[in-house]
Amino acid sequence: MTVQASNLQSEQMPDSTGGSGGDAAKVAGQSPTKLAIGRFRHDKLSMISFVVVVVYMLAALAAPFLVKFGVLDPTTFHQNLTDPSTGGIPYGKLGGVSWHHPLGVEPATGRDVLSRLWYGVTFSLAIALSATMISIVVGAVLGIISGFSGGWIDSIIGRFIDLTLSFPVTLMLLALSAIGIQMVANVLPGTFSDPLPNGAYVVLVLGIFGWPGIARIIRGQVLTVREREFVDAAVLFGASKYRIYFKEILPNLWAPLLVTFTLTMPAYISAEAALSYLGVGIHPPTPTLGNILKGSINYSQADFFFFFTPAFLIMIIVVSFNLLGDGIRDALDPKTAR
Amino acid sequence: MVNYRKRLLAGTVAVAMAGALAACGGSGSNPGGSSTQSATAGGTLQYYIYAPFEHTDPQRSYLGVEMTNFSRTVYRSLVAFPISTDPKVSNTPVPDLATDTGTSSEGGKVWKFTLKDGVKWEDGKPVTCEDFKYGASRVFATDVITGGPNYLLSYLDIPTDAKTGLPAYDGPYKGDGQALFDKAITCDGNTITYNFKKPWPDFPLAVAGLHMMDPYRQDKDQGAKSNYQIFSNGPYMIKGGGAMWNKNKGALFVRNPNYDAKTDSTDIRKALPDEINFTVGQTPETIYDRLIADNGDDQYAVTSSRVPPAYYTQIQGAVADRSVLVKSPYVDYLVPNFRNMPDPKVREALKVATNATAWINAGGGEKAYGPAESIVNPAVVGYQANPAFSGPQEGDPAAAKKLLEEAGVKMPYPITFTYPTSDTADKQAAALKETWDSAGFDVTLDGLGDTYYDVIQKPTKDSDVIWGGWGADWPSAITVTPPLFDSRPNLTADSDGQDYGAYKSDKFNALVDQAQAATNLDDQTKALQEADKVLGEDTAYIPLEVANFYWLHGSKVTGYMNTPSSSSYVDLGPIGVEN
Repeated sequence: MTVQASNLQSEQMPDSTGGSGGDAAKVAGQSPTKLAIGRFRHDKLSMISFVVVVVYMLAALAAPFLVKFGVLDPTTFHQNLTDPSTGGIPYGKLGGVSWHHPLGVEPATGRDVLSRLWYGVTFSLAIALSATMISIVVGAVLGIISGFSGGWIDSIIGRFIDLTLSFPVTLMLLALSAIGIQMVANVLPGTFSDPLPNGAYVVLVLGIFGWPGIARIIRGQVLTVREREFVDAAVLFGASKYRIYFKEILPNLWAPLLVTFTLTMPAYISAEAALSYLGVGIHPPTPTLGNILKGSINYSQADFFFFFTPAFLIMIIVVSFNLLGDGIRDALDPKTAR
Repeated sequence: MVNYRKRLLAGTVAVAMAGALAACGGSGSNPGGSSTQSATAGGTLQYYIYAPFEHTDPQRSYLGVEMTNFSRTVYRSLVAFPISTDPKVSNTPVPDLATDTGTSSEGGKVWKFTLKDGVKWEDGKPVTCEDFKYGASRVFATDVITGGPNYLLSYLDIPTDAKTGLPAYDGPYKGDGQALFDKAITCDGNTITYNFKKPWPDFPLAVAGLHMMDPYRQDKDQGAKSNYQIFSNGPYMIKGGGAMWNKNKGALFVRNPNYDAKTDSTDIRKALPDEINFTVGQTPETIYDRLIADNGDDQYAVTSSRVPPAYYTQIQGAVADRSVLVKSPYVDYLVPNFRNMPDPKVREALKVATNATAWINAGGGEKAYGPAESIVNPAVVGYQANPAFSGPQEGDPAAAKKLLEEAGVKMPYPITFTYPTSDTADKQAAALKETWDSAGFDVTLDGLGDTYYDVIQKPTKDSDVIWGGWGADWPSAITVTPPLFDSRPNLTADSDGQDYGAYKSDKFNALVDQAQAATNLDDQTKALQEADKVLGEDTAYIPLEVANFYWLHGSKVTGYMNTPSSSSYVDLGPIGVEN
């Protein structure tokens, strides 16, 4: 990532007073945040990935409404567009691309691929976002407590982190899925095969097994911050623990939290796709990127475009999130840039 | 789809159909279903299975594929079907553990068999008449021995308990009415005599086609715990002896040292491979990726999974030479759950809105299926298209909606459709859901994973519509609708048997009695056709299609055949591998 020369004066770590020197009157001093945004804006790759991610989020939000108003149609069968003598391969090039079906139709069913992918983005985003929020909240809370308390609380939480990290998540998820989904289905509305319990199960497991990594990062950050002079100053002035947590330390954690958020999202989007392939997660006909990909893998020889489209879409989304996360991290702390 | 319940298909029509398919089915299909290569002894055959078997207990086994595999390897019967692709030969039983195909008297009510000498179990002990008697007695323990065929309950000469509607003998574990059973089946040295209360002129066909009459060792019987036990008297046994089949892994069959090939015939079992390795759990897609690539062990492999529709275009050239497309004996159908859908108008609306064409196309189209107008396979003697199912194959949602409105039920009417899941099946189910939803139903799809029949046979199930697949148990129409819809042997406290929809009709049962008491085939056929009409009027079932079987096998497999006696699955009788 390139760093603009004019922003070199922002090398200092953010502190609670803000401002990096310079008189407010003459040289319009910029807050570290403003400087970071400026750095970010000048990095082309980061800007592109930011735009892609925003488009993705807006598309995900818009899809349910588009489906409701009939613009997108992920469920209607158009079997007349598929060839029964070849096992259902769509007529025409590229898997049945046409004006009505810009990305073609699904083999054997004739469902519109664009509608299913677009609607699938919503479910994938919902799962990834919920799981990320759970991981971040749990991880941040435990990380802060662990980092600031030290002593035996820190040790216990540290061992708890090690324990959770040592679980083979995927295997456990698969082994316990039948029981777990039934338990979730007993609590939430919906039966065993419905989207809500299955999606909730995936969210819970991803969220619960994802927090340790975040906790460690936050804990490290807390340890660094609490050695800073302004925290010592606050302690000397007699600030309560509460004030120190919330007014001194927490405001300095938003940067790593933001970066972690942006880097965890793509991990969970990929994880959802992988789990769908293994059979855990929302089942068809409700589309998610994962279960569309699962159905399309078998057609990699017979209808390549049908396999390529969801795979390509997942790749674009994951890469964009990753580039965005990298870009934010570099903008906030140019020392990590190259 | 999941493995199918039972068997076989009568008449010469099978060969003609397979031949017709060879003409239009594209490259590489062989008439009668066989790839000819001279068979050789030795080596290990690999057998890939997708959906786990739910039973290997002979009295509980009812899947066509299970029964044929075990017939050729571990479970011998009094008589057996020989290896042949000619339906006439394949459907005529030959002696296996008996010295001949039995003698009947009193118009088919009494059957006598003399047992061969020198046949041993895998532990060296001889197979005795008592073993045959004990095996048959287990069928009556209807609370433990569930899932298997229950013809014996309605045929064996034991009085019926007026309270339960079942026979007055409840099996060897409880023992009530044991004296009645001991009178109905008697052992005199090496001769076993069966006494039936109705004529059973084709009893030997039932013996050969099913395992319910197989011998069973009483000292090896652990009741429900024996569900996956295989105790062999055939050419193979599970490594280790008296061992268990692993539901999710399968088993390795090795040669049985106590098997004497002189007591057997190569017309029934050639037993060429030294080992047969059954492995469970790979998806059909993975299995076919391997079979198409044909590397390593996969060259010696066969499978009970059919080619997934997504792979049809890959069966070309050299791969097509290893492929076989045959008509199967099975018809796929739906049953409405009569406990949840008592209103006949609602069931009729369901039938009218069923889009069988969409189901067929979502499942692979004309290579995979043919249309069906009855639950009886068109190749069975006495087949007649059922007028109740003569409507459009694509369904008529508008007419169905009208019926639902007339029925006055709350709309959208919620229903749950239970079926065995797979990538293809999920699409097929979604196809039905689409048309049903537009007719005023609100469909929840309930795809079941590794356990299907055990779940749908529970009387407490929530399902409203259930998938089923059935083929005649032996070459007669009397093995299609009676075992599926006669409430008397099926509906017990613990299980709905094969009557998943809990259909109960005195009118139908009376026609079944009439058919079973008939003295000639014409009267029997007429009664059965009447019975099918009753089922149509009550909408006891909705036929979907007749399944085709599309198979691939490894390049080093020899003697590959799909025969009528193997229900068009791979026949393990003649099979071998190059080595």
